Amino acid sequence: MNTIFEKSQVKQRAFTIPYASEEYPYELPPELQRQSPLLLPEISEIDLMRHFSNLAQRNMGIDTNFYPLGSCTMKLNPRVNEVAAALPGFVRTHPLAPEETVQGNLELINDFIQFLCKLCGMTAGSLTPNAGAQGEFTGIQMIAAFHRQQGDFQRDEILIPDNAHGTNPATAAMAGFKTISIPTNVEGDMNLNDLRHLVSNKTAGLMLTNPNTLGVFSSVITDIAKIIHDAGGFLYYDGANLNSIMNIAQPGKMGFDVMHINLHKTFSTPHGGGGPGSGPVLCNDILKPFLPLPQVYKDRSGYHVKWEDPTSIGQVATFHGNFGIYLRAYLYAKLHGNYGLRRISEMAVLNANYLKSKIAPYFTVPFPQTCMHEFVVQADNYLDKGVGALDIAKRILDYGMHAPTIYFPLIIKECMLIEPTESESKATLDRFIQIIEAITFEINGDPSVVKNAPQCTPVTRLDEVRAAKQPILKHILTEPF
Amino acid sequence: MDFISNKYPQINAMLSEIGIEKIDDLFASIPVELRLHAPQNDDGLSEYEGLRLMENLTAKNTFPSYENYLGGGAYEHYIPAIVSAITSKSEFLTSYTPYQAEASQGMLQAIFEFQSSICALTGMDVANASVYDGASACAEAILMAFRHHKNRNKILVGQSINPRYLAVIKTYLQCLDYQMVYIPNKKEGSIDLDFVKKEADHTTAGILLQNPNYFGIFDDVKACFEIGKQESIIGIVCADPIVYGIAPSARELLADIAVGDCQPLGLPLEFGGPYAGYMACRQDMVRQLPGRIVGETVDTNGERGFVLTLQAREQHIRREKATSNICTNQALASLASLVAILWYGKEGMKKLALANFQRAAYLKNELQKISGITIPYARSTFNEFVVEYKTAIDIVIKHFQQKEIQPGIRLNDRSLLVAVTETKSKAQLNRYLDVAKEIA
Repeated sequence: MNTIFEKSQVKQRAFTIPYASEEYPYELPPELQRQSPLLLPEISEIDLMRHFSNLAQRNMGIDTNFYPLGSCTMKLNPRVNEVAAALPGFVRTHPLAPEETVQGNLELINDFIQFLCKLCGMTAGSLTPNAGAQGEFTGIQMIAAFHRQQGDFQRDEILIPDNAHGTNPATAAMAGFKTISIPTNVEGDMNLNDLRHLVSNKTAGLMLTNPNTLGVFSSVITDIAKIIHDAGGFLYYDGANLNSIMNIAQPGKMGFDVMHINLHKTFSTPHGGGGPGSGPVLCNDILKPFLPLPQVYKDRSGYHVKWEDPTSIGQVATFHGNFGIYLRAYLYAKLHGNYGLRRISEMAVLNANYLKSKIAPYFTVPFPQTCMHEFVVQADNYLDKGVGALDIAKRILDYGMHAPTIYFPLIIKECMLIEPTESESKATLDRFIQIIEAITFEINGDPSVVKNAPQCTPVTRLDEVRAAKQPILKHILTEPF
Repeated sequence: MDFISNKYPQINAMLSEIGIEKIDDLFASIPVELRLHAPQNDDGLSEYEGLRLMENLTAKNTFPSYENYLGGGAYEHYIPAIVSAITSKSEFLTSYTPYQAEASQGMLQAIFEFQSSICALTGMDVANASVYDGASACAEAILMAFRHHKNRNKILVGQSINPRYLAVIKTYLQCLDYQMVYIPNKKEGSIDLDFVKKEADHTTAGILLQNPNYFGIFDDVKACFEIGKQESIIGIVCADPIVYGIAPSARELLADIAVGDCQPLGLPLEFGGPYAGYMACRQDMVRQLPGRIVGETVDTNGERGFVLTLQAREQHIRREKATSNICTNQALASLASLVAILWYGKEGMKKLALANFQRAAYLKNELQKISGITIPYARSTFNEFVVEYKTAIDIVIKHFQQKEIQPGIRLNDRSLLVAVTETKSKAQLNRYLDVAKEIA
């Protein structure tokens, strides 16, 4: 489809400027004026609207298609959250407004931190991190700040299982740590002897997702916590998979010291094609002094904001983080209540196990035990026909569903990571199962139809190698205009 | 309540299909001592009750009833109606990061057009799909400069950068072995170029300046980056994107990296977020950019399509060797900014920038005429400026608030930072002047 830059027509426009008839006798001095042409398109409102409406039609969303993308928790985004986020009383509040004029916002922040702490078995928190990875960064910085405060400068290692999200090692590296990878055992869990061998007085902490990205809950989690704590390190909880354990188990009780939650996953804020997210950090009393700024607190006169604190790691976001996102999550939590949140996890795990048991016959299943909210299968049993996970994923698109996550975790060959979420009905899951069955039938008949997929999407399979080797990363408006 | 589809008939059928008696059995892998009892008597609110709860919270926010002159990194601009019409479309709103390109062409093309628009505004060669906000864009740009100059460990930062951006930069750098040196200001509010000449040496990786700076002042960016060029120092300029409608592009200022916050274009104040950080740079630095980048390619039929590209920079491929840990970005917010940029277009961006400049210039000049008020910095400003009162500033602020005006951000006990955008009419500005006269 043509880009908006190719749709430009001379002198067409959509804008109006408020109070444009009012005149002001001011001009920028010549040396402060732009010399180079501003090469933006000229476009009317109808063409602008139509362009983006057409683009939207070339995209799948959770509203239009089943979207079992593993580790992404693509569940229904209730529209009541959108209504709440658009209330003028939130939309029009400035982040530096005097405290007494934004008491509602501050109450929400204070209340939601307490709610999340109770849910996770933690004691304090901050909503400012803008996404999960920034939450990780915040938590790891808090761990670093603790060790620094203790005068313990030798702890420069963070341990991370080899099945972890890529953000974990990237976060540790950004915070200046060396990363030590821990292998996964045949049960999809961590081997305690491996861990004992790797911890030392250089260990700052261990980052862990539980259940992990293989959908396996670590049965030795309390032992892991003990080993790390005995070595003087901290246990970090990557909350990407919290959707499986809400009000069933608590990271705090498992022994985690600090954690983040991906509100755009578990708490259903819309992911918007890549963001915004929101990644609140929660911690126990030991790490509380290091929480980021600004911090909201309450006294007799109301709610206040603290912008300075000597032990805090400082700010991670310009202001209060993605307020417009976590207010949606707050409402989502209030709509469910604690019992509703538990039901979410129960049904997410049931849907995953149902789907797993029904598609297991078509793939290699590395971890046959009961899974949590997601599971992995290996699509390596069709490699002799020239078909891998990528081909199956593309063929799923032809059948009108989004594909699972593929080739992650990296340790599983031809991996497909599947997460159906609690939102989906049995009929939708059954349809997905039928599609998998139909695709395996195709592979065993004429695999070319799968290898050449997709054919029913707005474009057929795209050449990613070409995109990287001959990068075209923008369009420019070509003169004459 | 909940949004779960399956009820007892489906749940029982599924349980029996997988050969499990009850839901609890699914959680057998969680050690018993860690398992909680099911909560009782807290089944949440109805939609109606939930919405009332939120409305009751907004009722405690009195800020929207004031006329607002606060800026400092978040500005009240008009948001075209078309913006939310587009960002609320299901397929944009409820999609994930476009990992499956063939099913995500709409969002991928939109991101590509966002990158193109940021390049058009800044004059730079390439842009990414967004980072979290202006602050993280500055911090990531500094890390880019250090990756570019692997053996250098110093960064120069203009003292008049937004203090909240500076706070975030400090957090990003605090565990790393780098040195940050502040470039002091001269009396008229611009940076001290003599200091730059002295400090910009072969150990300096980059120079970060905000333009206009936190006090709204157009700084000597070009002259500063020219000095830096002698040691190949990376010039990073942080700017409100609207300013590029009339003021020199980042390229004209000799910048190597252009960053800033997209909030002024299409994003509401919303108590500080979601906003979107933009990052653009020279072609030869593209592999140092953090975050998502979309590129054009073709499908098996030779038709044009778009994909996430140059992913060997990113955390899901490179893990600890990635350029950044960023995964989720601010895609929908950058879509909102894209739509706003296109709605204004070539002509409108100039007029929008001019309206901001002129209305702020009017208020600044008229305030200066009032006895008891001074404008401490002589340099040209964009849509924000510092004003100094003889009267104690808390008394000034209180007086304005009694007239339902939030007059600006308190800088110290005598001065305010005042932001004026296109949303203010001459009548409103005159009213502001009247109130100022009463208290000055």
